[in-house]
Amino acid sequence: MAATPVSARENTVFVIDDDEIIRLSCEQILKKSGYHVETFANGHVGIERLKEVRPPLLVVDIKMPELDGFEVIRIVRKIDPDVVIVVITGYATIETAVDAMKMGAYDFLPKPFTPGELRMIIERGFERWRLAREAQLLRHEKEQVERKFVTLVSHQLKSPLVAVKQYLDTLLYTSGAQLPGESAEWISRSQERISEMLKLIQDWLMLSKLDRGALTDRGVSSDIGKIAENIVREYQQLPSAAHVKLSAEIAPGLAQATGDGVSLAMLVRNLVSNAVKYNKPGGEVKVTASGNGQWITLKVSDTGIGISSLHRARLFEEFYRVISPETQNIPGTGLGLVICKRILDELGGFIDVDSKEGEYTTFTVRLPIASPIKEAEYADAVGK
Amino acid sequence: MNEPKSVLIIDDDILYVKAIQTLLESSGYKVRSASNSRDGIELAKALQPDLILLDVMMSERTEGFFVLQELRRIPALSRTPVIVLSSIYSEEPIFRVDPEAGWLPANLFLAKPVDPARLLTEAERLTSGSLEEKGAPAAGRKQV
Repeated sequence: MAATPVSARENTVFVIDDDEIIRLSCEQILKKSGYHVETFANGHVGIERLKEVRPPLLVVDIKMPELDGFEVIRIVRKIDPDVVIVVITGYATIETAVDAMKMGAYDFLPKPFTPGELRMIIERGFERWRLAREAQLLRHEKEQVERKFVTLVSHQLKSPLVAVKQYLDTLLYTSGAQLPGESAEWISRSQERISEMLKLIQDWLMLSKLDRGALTDRGVSSDIGKIAENIVREYQQLPSAAHVKLSAEIAPGLAQATGDGVSLAMLVRNLVSNAVKYNKPGGEVKVTASGNGQWITLKVSDTGIGISSLHRARLFEEFYRVISPETQNIPGTGLGLVICKRILDELGGFIDVDSKEGEYTTFTVRLPIASPIKEAEYADAVGK
Repeated sequence: MNEPKSVLIIDDDILYVKAIQTLLESSGYKVRSASNSRDGIELAKALQPDLILLDVMMSERTEGFFVLQELRRIPALSRTPVIVLSSIYSEEPIFRVDPEAGWLPANLFLAKPVDPARLLTEAERLTSGSLEEKGAPAAGRKQV
């Protein structure tokens, strides 16, 4: 609708009918009512012209030689889903009209009709067209506002938190040793809470991007093996992951996965982060990736606290978090796995979980192998 | 003693600038700041700092990226180390861009809030030693 060029077309009616008398009478009646009318003796000519003019309203006879009304409706719907179609049925059987409606006609006009009937139906059709257009404009506007809202709000929510956190970081770093009593401890607790909140905002932003289908890119491929290795290496150097042993085992010559590097890195990072967080001191986190035929299978296994079957079913729900004595002090947003699931939904992949309480959890991800194999332009998003 | 190294911070969040400034000054850097793109570029030209810290989102737009491109077009600043500091990257736990990625000629990207020890280490690394070691990108490198 946004592409509609001329305002003159806003009162244009197309009439496609092989019967000359119908064409002429329609033209006369509607011109008197102030409409701009173009008539066509057959579907082919009408459709060609419709591609250029895009009238709001099309009146078409069902029974025509060559291209019948049904065919015209089918083709026109593909060209312009917004044009309001009224069918003329010479034999006013309900069935024909119903069939036409099913194919996307808005109304029908049984022959013979009076000028008043024609005017009434055309007016109704235009009203319908105007309402649909308004609704579409509103929808479009709403989408834009939402998009902007999410970006701005998240940035405005983050900025003060980032500044506060940076103050605390600086304070603790430059004068932590001189702080009296429990001050240093309180500061670091505040830092942790702020970090959680920042993560929540970030996850929320990601989800809203995913809702718009704007986060992953199915058209590119990435070296998932390299991404996984990089993330494991990253975590190996992290103080917060020092309590576990991380390893990666990537099958040599692993194929490229469908998806852009940034979203695949987010996927792997969320899983590895969970495996680290919900682990036991001295535990292990193992990331493996292998391929066969159509799929790359990526497994992230831990030797952690496990997830009971009760919770497993709800793991991929928004804001769902397993609450237990073991998990109550572990920070999390309850969105990480939701994000993983959504990324995979978009890429045509799957995620599954296997776990035994107190022993292990393994997340298995299946990603479609990209074809044809391209240069992984985005694979390096996580760095070296 | 050597001359203290100078750092220019370009960021519209004045509160944030103060936190970073305090941190850098505690380690002996001379710090100046600008709160918008134009002042930032002018000040960079005038000061010829040893290091520039650059924010991305300024006045609700990604102005930092343009500042960076602009800085690289100025011969005297084409090889000045630049760290892009932004909260638009809060990928946990560390956001990194391959120095060869080439899409933006920054030396380093760090997520806000930045770990103080990390920032000081990187500032030290980027303001000392030869340019080659810093992986300083050539001006006008082709975008990917």
